[in-house]
Amino acid sequence: MREKLHPFHVGLLVFMVQAGVVSIFLPRMLAQYMGYNGWVSLLLFSAVATFNIFLISVVYRLSDGKSIFQIIEQSLPKVIVFPLYTVLVSVWTLIGCIAAKQYILLFTVFVFPTTPPMYMKFLFDIIAYSLITKGIYNISKAATVFFWMVIWTALLLLFFLKGFEWVNLTPFFFKESSDVIVGGLSIFTAFLGYELVLLLFPYVNSKKGFMSAVYFGNFLTTFIYLAICLTCFGFYSFKQLTRMKFPLIDLLAYIRLPFVERVENIFIALYLVSALMSITMYIWAASETAQSLIPRASKRWITGVLVCGAFAVSWIPDVLSEVELWLKYLGYMASGIAFGLPLLLIAILAINNGGKKLV
Amino acid sequence: MYKVLRLFLTVLLFGIVTGCGDQRILEKLGLIQTTSYDIAPGSDEDESKQKLLISVTIPRPDSGTGTGSGGVNREFLTAIAQTSKGGRVNLSRQTELQLVSGQLRNTLFGLSLAKQGIWEHIDTLVRDPSISPKVKITVVNGNAHDLLAKNYPFHPRTGQYIDRMLEKESHSQVVPSTTLYQFTKDYFDDGIDPIAPMIKEAGDNVKIDGVALFQKDRYIMKIEPKQALIFAMMRTDIKQGDLNVDLSGQNRNNEHVTLSSLVSHRSVHVTPHNGNFRVDINIKVSGSVLEYIGVLDLENDKDRSTIEKLVSEYVQANANEMIAVMQKNRVDSLGLGKNIRSTLHYAQWHKMNWPDTYQRIEVKFHVNVRIKDYGMFTK
Repeated sequence: MREKLHPFHVGLLVFMVQAGVVSIFLPRMLAQYMGYNGWVSLLLFSAVATFNIFLISVVYRLSDGKSIFQIIEQSLPKVIVFPLYTVLVSVWTLIGCIAAKQYILLFTVFVFPTTPPMYMKFLFDIIAYSLITKGIYNISKAATVFFWMVIWTALLLLFFLKGFEWVNLTPFFFKESSDVIVGGLSIFTAFLGYELVLLLFPYVNSKKGFMSAVYFGNFLTTFIYLAICLTCFGFYSFKQLTRMKFPLIDLLAYIRLPFVERVENIFIALYLVSALMSITMYIWAASETAQSLIPRASKRWITGVLVCGAFAVSWIPDVLSEVELWLKYLGYMASGIAFGLPLLLIAILAINNGGKKLV
Repeated sequence: MYKVLRLFLTVLLFGIVTGCGDQRILEKLGLIQTTSYDIAPGSDEDESKQKLLISVTIPRPDSGTGTGSGGVNREFLTAIAQTSKGGRVNLSRQTELQLVSGQLRNTLFGLSLAKQGIWEHIDTLVRDPSISPKVKITVVNGNAHDLLAKNYPFHPRTGQYIDRMLEKESHSQVVPSTTLYQFTKDYFDDGIDPIAPMIKEAGDNVKIDGVALFQKDRYIMKIEPKQALIFAMMRTDIKQGDLNVDLSGQNRNNEHVTLSSLVSHRSVHVTPHNGNFRVDINIKVSGSVLEYIGVLDLENDKDRSTIEKLVSEYVQANANEMIAVMQKNRVDSLGLGKNIRSTLHYAQWHKMNWPDTYQRIEVKFHVNVRIKDYGMFTK
C-alpha cells in the first residue's frame, strides 16, 4: 500500500510552502502599501486565505477523496480541460522557477556577490528535481525536517525585545498607505501555497484531520509573519522601514552573539530550505497536472522536462527588479488560481451531485 | 545510460562547487576598521563643489614593529574624492590588499562636515550589504583625519583604541552608542533627532568630548561631557553610571557627592495645555554614595534625605538648562515628538509643524534621587 500523509506533516508542509522568500520583504511591503501599523492588515490577509481554505475544504468534502483531475475530467470536455491544465502547469512551473531565481539572486547579493547566479540556480534545481521525483510522501518528510531546521530561528526575535519601542508603532493606522489594491495583492502572495493542497486529496489518510492541518499551517504562517512584522515596526521607525529593501535580513544582521556577529549570512543560507520547499511543491503540482495532461508519459521525464524548462526560463530575468516584476504578475495569476480552481470544482461537484451534499 | 548520466552530473557538480569563484583569502584582504570623513582642505565654499577627504585604517599585525600605536602595526590610507565610494577606489590604488568593509567598526566625521550634514555618506554605508548596521557613528571635534592619522603611543592601535573606548563609555552611558541603525532610525523618524558621541584629540590621548546633537543630519550643538550622564537620564533608562555632583550651585560651597552604580528610570507624560503641550518627565534615580565631602552626616536619615534633595535639585537644574538650549536650537534629541505624536490623531500631528511647536512646549522635570546605601565604613 502506498504511504499516506499524516495531518501533522500536511500542516508543516503548508507552512513551509507558504513561508518563503517573501518574508524577507514583507515588513517593508506592509509599511509601503498599508502605511502606519501595516502589520495589523496581516490579519485581514490571513482571513482571506482562511476563507480560501474553507472553499478548498468544501471541495474536499464534496469530492470524497477523489483527485481534482478526476473531477474535472469527468465533467468537462477535453477542449476546456486541455488549456486549463496548460495554464496550471505553466503558472505553477514559472512561479516555482522565478521564486527560486529570486532567492538565488538575494543569496548572491549577500553571500557570493560575484558568483554567477545561474551556477547556484543549477545546483538548487538539482536538489529540487531529486526531491520531486521521490514523490509527495518523501517531500512532506523532507518538509518536516526542514521545518525544524528553520523554525527555531523565530526565537531570535526575542533578541529584539530590548530595542522594541511601542512608541515607534505610533497611534496611526493605515495612514500614508499607497496602492492599497495592487500592493495588497502583492502582500497576499506571501500567503499563497496552501492552494496546492487541492492536489493532496488522494494522498491523505485521515479525512478529519486533513483540513484542520491546512488551517493550522496557515495559522502558523500568520503567526510567524505577525511576529516578524510587529518586531520590524517596533524596532525601526516607519519611514525607515519603507526604505529598507530587505528588513528581515537587516534585522538578522543586527544580532550580535558573544562569539560571532554578522550571522545573517548563515541564516540566508538556512532559509534555502524554506525557498526550496516552495519551489519543490509548485513544480510537483505542475508535474502532477502535466501527468494528467499526458497520462502515458513517465513522471520522471515530465519532472525533468519541467525543471529544465524552468531553468531555461529563469535565464531571462537577470536582475532582482525584473524578477520581482515577473513574480508580481505570476503572483496575481496564482491568486486567481487559488480562488478560481476551488470555485470551479465546487460548481462542477454541485451540478454533479445535484446540490445534495453542498450544505 | 542512467549511470553514465549520473556520473557525468556528479563530476560536473564537483567541478562547479570547487570552482571557487568568490575567493576571500584572509591574508589578501584589507579589513577596514575605521573610516574618517572630512571636507578636503582648501575646498570650495560652495558645498556642491566640495571634495571629501577620506581615510581608512587597516590593522596589519604583520607590518611594523612592537605592539600598540607606537609600533604602527596598521596601514593608514588617505584619498581625496568626490564621493565616498569613489574615494574607496582611490584608496585601493595605494595598497596591495583587497579592501573590504565587513569588519568596519567605526566611522568618524569631522566637525565641519557634520555641520553640513552627513546623511549622504551614511546612505552609502547603509546601502552596502557587507557593512553591519552596528557600525558606530562618531563626531570628531576638529579634524577626523588628523585624529585617526595620529599614533597614540600608550594605547592600542588608533582605530581599535577609539572603538574600545566608545564601547566602554557607552556601556556606562556617558555617551550614547550611536550605530548606523540608530542614526538611520532617528533620522527618518519625525519625532526625534539623532545624536552621536563626540571625541577629540588631547595630546597623547583621545578624549570623549560630550554628545553631538543633530537636527536631521546636521550637527547643531553639543552636550558637555560633565552633563552627559544627566542628558542620558533625560533620554532613556540607565543601568549603570557614576554621577559627580558639585553642590555649589545649590548654595553649598565645597560640598561634593559622587553617586555610583546609578540606576535611573524615566517616564514621560504629555498633557495638552492651552493649545500647547506640557511634558512632564519623571526621572527616578537610585545609587550608592561612595564619596561625600561636606558637613552633613551620611548616617543621619535626615541629612541623607537632604543630600537626596540637593542632588535631585542639581539634576533638575542641569536638565532644565539643557532642554532650554535644545529648544532654542530646535533639536529634539530627547524624542519628545514621539511621545506627543502618541497622543494625537494623524491629521493633528501632520498639521502641526513639530520643530516650531517644540520650541514652545513646556517641559518639566521631576527628579527623585534615592540613596540606596552609603558604603561599608562609617565615620
